Amino acid sequence: MEFEYIVKAEGHRISLDKKGEGFVLRHGDRTLEADIRVISPQTLSLIVEGRSHLVYVVEDKDRIYVSLGGTTQAFKRPGEEEKPFERGEDGAKEGKTVVTAPMPGKVVKVNVAEKEAVRKNQTLAIVEAMKMENEIKSPLDGVVKKIYASPGDLVDSEKPLFEIEPIA
Amino acid sequence: MFKKILIANRGEIACRIIRACREMGIASVAVFSEADRAGLHVQMADQAVGIGPPPAVESYLDMDRIVEAARATGAEAIHPGYGFLAENPEFARRCEKEGIVFIGPNSRALELVGDKVRARLTMEKAGIPIIPGMNRVAAEFAEYASEAKKIGYPVMIKASAGGGGKGMRVVCSDEDLRPALEAGQREARSAFGDESVYLEKCIEDPRHVEFQVLADNDGRIVHLFERECSIQRRHQKIVEESPSPALTLELRKRMGETAKRVLEVAGYNNAGTVEFLLDREKTFYFLEVNARLQVEHPVTELTTGVDLVHQQIRIAAGEKLDLKQEDLSQRGHAIECRIYAEDPANGFLPSPGKILFLKEPSGPGVRHDGGIYGGWDVPIYYDPILAKLIVWAETREAACRRMRSAMDDYVILGIKTTISFLKDVISHPRFREGATTTGFIKSHFEGWQEKEAPEETLMLALAAAAFFDSRRTRETGAPSLRTKEAFSPWRVLGKWRIGEKSD
Repeated sequence: MEFEYIVKAEGHRISLDKKGEGFVLRHGDRTLEADIRVISPQTLSLIVEGRSHLVYVVEDKDRIYVSLGGTTQAFKRPGEEEKPFERGEDGAKEGKTVVTAPMPGKVVKVNVAEKEAVRKNQTLAIVEAMKMENEIKSPLDGVVKKIYASPGDLVDSEKPLFEIEPIA
Repeated sequence: MFKKILIANRGEIACRIIRACREMGIASVAVFSEADRAGLHVQMADQAVGIGPPPAVESYLDMDRIVEAARATGAEAIHPGYGFLAENPEFARRCEKEGIVFIGPNSRALELVGDKVRARLTMEKAGIPIIPGMNRVAAEFAEYASEAKKIGYPVMIKASAGGGGKGMRVVCSDEDLRPALEAGQREARSAFGDESVYLEKCIEDPRHVEFQVLADNDGRIVHLFERECSIQRRHQKIVEESPSPALTLELRKRMGETAKRVLEVAGYNNAGTVEFLLDREKTFYFLEVNARLQVEHPVTELTTGVDLVHQQIRIAAGEKLDLKQEDLSQRGHAIECRIYAEDPANGFLPSPGKILFLKEPSGPGVRHDGGIYGGWDVPIYYDPILAKLIVWAETREAACRRMRSAMDDYVILGIKTTISFLKDVISHPRFREGATTTGFIKSHFEGWQEKEAPEETLMLALAAAAFFDSRRTRETGAPSLRTKEAFSPWRVLGKWRIGEKSD
């Protein structure tokens, strides 16, 4: 069986085929044989060429987190809907940019009003989390098209806060 | 001895204190805000009392509610932990008035050491070396300007009500003084409700070395040697160790005696920490007193064999200090790393959220002081500290290796943490040499990014994810969404990038 994941915006393909008691793994031009055991719903033991690896796997919405050998990787499954909102200047090319919350927190201040012209890096709002205030800045010169948040709102990570229309 | 203690705190430090209570046969009362109902400290305590909504001002900082909870549960003493009400003289006074024992210093000593300018003046009079600078708050700009000239640039602006780096500014020249003063005053006003600032000589690239002191109610005082806490980001410590690689026996002795003297002068009792700056010439200056149990207290416990929380409780109960200076010694080396819910690759942005999986490290010489568990939703309202990892070993080098190995075993999935960053700090050649100063992170770790995992690690991680998904598919009976049959567009060979044509 072949599986695909997105690792830091790059697609990776891995195939897993049963062979005897174990599996043959293929990734790019590399092939490895692995003995895989399930230790618990979140824990796997892999023995590959005599080396033992303890692996922890959990999923969270569209992401799979894998911890192995002191590193943690976050994989995204492709095919599931891409984020509806693009961030930063990539989105700007399509006519508007949605500025999202960088982390879960509480909106303590909104510094701009709808229809207001803003400059790149101008502070649009302040979101506070864990006793730290974080300034939300405009990624471009433009006009505030829409404001989705008001002071006191609790916002989740990646929740849209503003829609900015670039100056033509 | 007390029969019941209320812990006016949350997270890892509340859990630490509850453990001490259990060991001493004392019942513990946890208090919790609505955001902490499922918190680990609530689970561990014998009793738990809800004290209000999530924001700290309406719960953990609300003196009325905390005193009321102590009354209602019959707790005879309150341990404030660190932060929140720990160094608030008004709260200590309130407890004194209500006949509840505050496990910490008396309110007068708290008041003195909390006022940085007054503390400087008092200490200077007592012959304690202080950083050259002002001993009062100036009335007008001209006075600051002439003081700055007298001290010599660069100078440091500090808030009189001080703490946490708030209001602090380095000024290098005359023309920068006015705007920096205004900014410092503004910040101090919003942080402490008091805009008083003063100027000090800026000690360049110093080490931060502090001494742990215990004083009983009758004036017996011992120090438990130093902790070096030079590794900081945003003026906040992230790695601490003991002993300091910078101290000689002679210097340690002198600083230790000075620390004891500071607490004597302040009329201090219970546990306290005297902070010093150590400059390049190894001259030390009194900085301030931290009038509480410190976050980094475990490194002292591991090197001296003294349980500081037990000592605090015994002293507060009126017992005589049973430690003698000449019997105390440092054994081996201890290092602590603070594990924060922050993204170190992204300006240490807070990273609250659900912990999907947790595996704490263990092994010889490894201690984990945590306030978390797998499934816990780390709230957005409080300090991002999740846990502390502390190791002890015979030598500094062995402790560094033990820390590195323990961090490799430490797994927290679901939220971002500082673990991978701290691993690189501990492994840095300059850290290994003991070349630790407060500028360390800025000089060596600006723009830090996590190293790419080796190719085989990535491959095996992908295989594990695929294996996980294949099992999930079998269990739910749904056809796998991720096999190539379902997604022919991805059947092309090689790596591909979102938004790009594949080759």
